[in-house]
Amino acid sequence: MLKDLGTPSTRSAFRSAGEAPLRSAGTPREVRRRRTVLLLVVLACFTLIVLDARRSAGSPVEPLREAAAGVFGPLESTATSARQPVDNLRDRFAEMDRLKAENEKLKKDNEDLTRELNTSDYARNRAQELDKLLKVAPAYTMTPARVIGIGGAQNFSHTVTIDAGTADGVRTDMTVLNGTGLVGRVVRVTQGTATVLLIGDRNSTVGGRLNATMALGFVSGRGDVAGTLDYKLVDPKARPKAGDRIVTWGSSGNAPYVPGVPIGVVTSVTPNQGALGSTATVKPFVDPTRIDTVGVVTGPPARPPRAQITGKGN
Amino acid sequence: MIALRIGLAALFLMIAVTVQTSVLTNIAVAGVTCDLTLIVVIALALSRGPEWGAIAGFAGGLMLDVVPPADHTAGRWALGLAIAGYVGGLIRRETSGSPVGPLGVALTVVLGTAISFFLYCATGSLLHDPTVDWSEFGVRLGIAAGYDVVGAIVVIPLVMWLMGRLKPARERRRVTP
Repeated sequence: MLKDLGTPSTRSAFRSAGEAPLRSAGTPREVRRRRTVLLLVVLACFTLIVLDARRSAGSPVEPLREAAAGVFGPLESTATSARQPVDNLRDRFAEMDRLKAENEKLKKDNEDLTRELNTSDYARNRAQELDKLLKVAPAYTMTPARVIGIGGAQNFSHTVTIDAGTADGVRTDMTVLNGTGLVGRVVRVTQGTATVLLIGDRNSTVGGRLNATMALGFVSGRGDVAGTLDYKLVDPKARPKAGDRIVTWGSSGNAPYVPGVPIGVVTSVTPNQGALGSTATVKPFVDPTRIDTVGVVTGPPARPPRAQITGKGN
Repeated sequence: MIALRIGLAALFLMIAVTVQTSVLTNIAVAGVTCDLTLIVVIALALSRGPEWGAIAGFAGGLMLDVVPPADHTAGRWALGLAIAGYVGGLIRRETSGSPVGPLGVALTVVLGTAISFFLYCATGSLLHDPTVDWSEFGVRLGIAAGYDVVGAIVVIPLVMWLMGRLKPARERRRVTP
């Protein structure tokens, strides 16, 4: 009786009886098959979520990620190379506007700087001290890499793919930087690609040191598109000032962050509500929307061994 | 014949995922990229029905979850896109008499974006993912929906035409009496 519901004769019988049949139903067999497929797919999704929920290196989904990276890494690399000519054309058009704006800005900066130079020696001395401090960060052994894939904002996480992997000496928890400053750290590596967590991501925390006072603090990302960071000093009584620069503090064993890499500059300071101390907003040196070539710090700083100083007892 | 259709659908999904992570990021609006995988899934659902929509959504979402640079728990986008594909296929069933017009396609794409994004954020909140930010949800959903409709105008007719060319012989015989 039930299986006769779908046939046209009974359907017209319903209609003549004044009841409209269900519009979206097919035959009951089709409906059952549809719902079975949906149920199986949803179960498969939840199984995957549960399996991967811990996101540790031993997750059963890892082989699948490695296989996907092996397949899609070269594809992403090819696609990125293919779009270079289009990018160049577009950049050339944008160049005009950019140059005009930069010209205006440079004129204004020039006036400000001339004025400052004329008014104080103290500023000049301080600049020299900062210079010496920055030269202390030695040059590191780096593997260059290119960004071949970027995660969109729908994912809420700031990650990029680079085309260097274990074959190039990259391991997890290595620092990634470029000529302007700190970019992030490596969180996942496969044979030919690596995933980098940018410092603007909410999960990212970097130890940072104020240049001016050598005070220590923590720089964490906010998760917004421009990559703005929050900086909290360890000493609650210290107050950073706008214009202070922050470099990395460094971790034990140089993993995940090597010391001395510039992170950003303080733009504003707000006192914490309900707690001691203040939080500074930091604009990073590296613009996360414009990263192309980066370097992964794969080895200790390249410098000659130092001669030991021995005191001569008298 | 059916293997050819499955192969073609899988090829579409792979191309969509690659283009989405490498090429479309350059023309992102406020960080939001066009979700090409969702558009291809909706196109497959609108041309083949809810079972195909759910399976295609699962496959496309799974690829989005494991292909670098994705760093979240696997299965979240798979769930979102599977449900979106199933709903898209149901919409095809509703209007199985006439083909779905352009307004219907646009509304299906918006609905699919909303469903998949909402499920992604909901599973994120369930798993205590600290990066999910519900205050940004509305803005990002609005931009994503608009951008996806723009992408759909280009991609969906192409995919549906290509899938229609590979109808099996018995279905073709039924259409021409």
